Amino acid sequence: MFEHEEDVVQRVVQQLRRPVAIDPALDARVMQAIAKPEPPARSIWPWLAAAAVLVSLIIWRPWSRSAEAESATFQFVLVAPQATSVSLVGDFNDWDPKRSPMRTANGIWATVVQLAPGRYRYAYLVNGAEWRADPGAPTVPPPDDEFGKPSSVVTVGGKGS
Amino acid sequence: MQSMGIERVESSDAELVCRVRAGDIGAYGALVSRYRDRLGRYARHMLGDREDAEEALQDSFVRAYRSLARCDDPARFGAWLYGILVNRCRTTGARAARRRRMFVRDADALQGAARADQSERLEWTDAVDRALARLAPEYREAFLLKHVEDLEYEAIAELTGAGVSALKMRVKRAREQLQRYLREAEHV
Repeated sequence: MFEHEEDVVQRVVQQLRRPVAIDPALDARVMQAIAKPEPPARSIWPWLAAAAVLVSLIIWRPWSRSAEAESATFQFVLVAPQATSVSLVGDFNDWDPKRSPMRTANGIWATVVQLAPGRYRYAYLVNGAEWRADPGAPTVPPPDDEFGKPSSVVTVGGKGS
Repeated sequence: MQSMGIERVESSDAELVCRVRAGDIGAYGALVSRYRDRLGRYARHMLGDREDAEEALQDSFVRAYRSLARCDDPARFGAWLYGILVNRCRTTGARAARRRRMFVRDADALQGAARADQSERLEWTDAVDRALARLAPEYREAFLLKHVEDLEYEAIAELTGAGVSALKMRVKRAREQLQRYLREAEHV
């Protein structure tokens, strides 16, 4: 003859409500762990920035443009979630922040410019004052770095390149 | 009737949480001490392994401390902490399942099984552990929170994210299956 379900459950519950042994040193381990400084959270922004640059390159595929093309369209992307304004400045727009303002979506700033074949130095002007090189492009080596501020370089291939 | 003399007055959860937030790390020790046994029991039954349970428990306490600013209602610190542990046990349980670990017989049960004078009780203990371990994790979770931790369905729903109807069904299935498994083991 089997026990009724309710009786079985009561016996099981009675068993499971008994105290279980916990390592007495656990409290000390917890207190030791919380006394240590919290490890810094790994930021996803550098990875996101790299991914954005990669995506923009894949979309525009500057390397596959026809050699006959005199100019190509490039999208410049910067991840700057804290920024209130970003402009693209460079040799192609006389370093004028008004000519290539960037638009943002969720902290990802982007703008598109037409570039004829050649080598261009450029940078991002954040909040109208902070000069930033493109983290996804080569930086301009001295002595080309004439402004004494970080800037990047992009080379657009043309005929024969 | 109130007795004369010195009485130990325990601080409420809310008071302790406020002290911790104000920089009194020692106050967190009182919270750990207050919740360790009850939460440890849940973790042990949920995971079936003492080491996994203690790791989950320790990790939950540390996570709770580091996220204390996100505890909206310090008076309900216990419920909030329970939520962290329930999630942590789910993660650990899934990992343990992937490792295909046998998690019914822990070291204590094996040691205890050797003692002849307690053999009958240990046999029952072992049978309960085995039956519990055979339940699907969501059934085991619902059964433990409802019947062992004695929580209301609404509170369990808040902790687990499952609906009350689904939880009632899980508890019902857990009860039926426990009886069947114990019957198979000829303990009922």
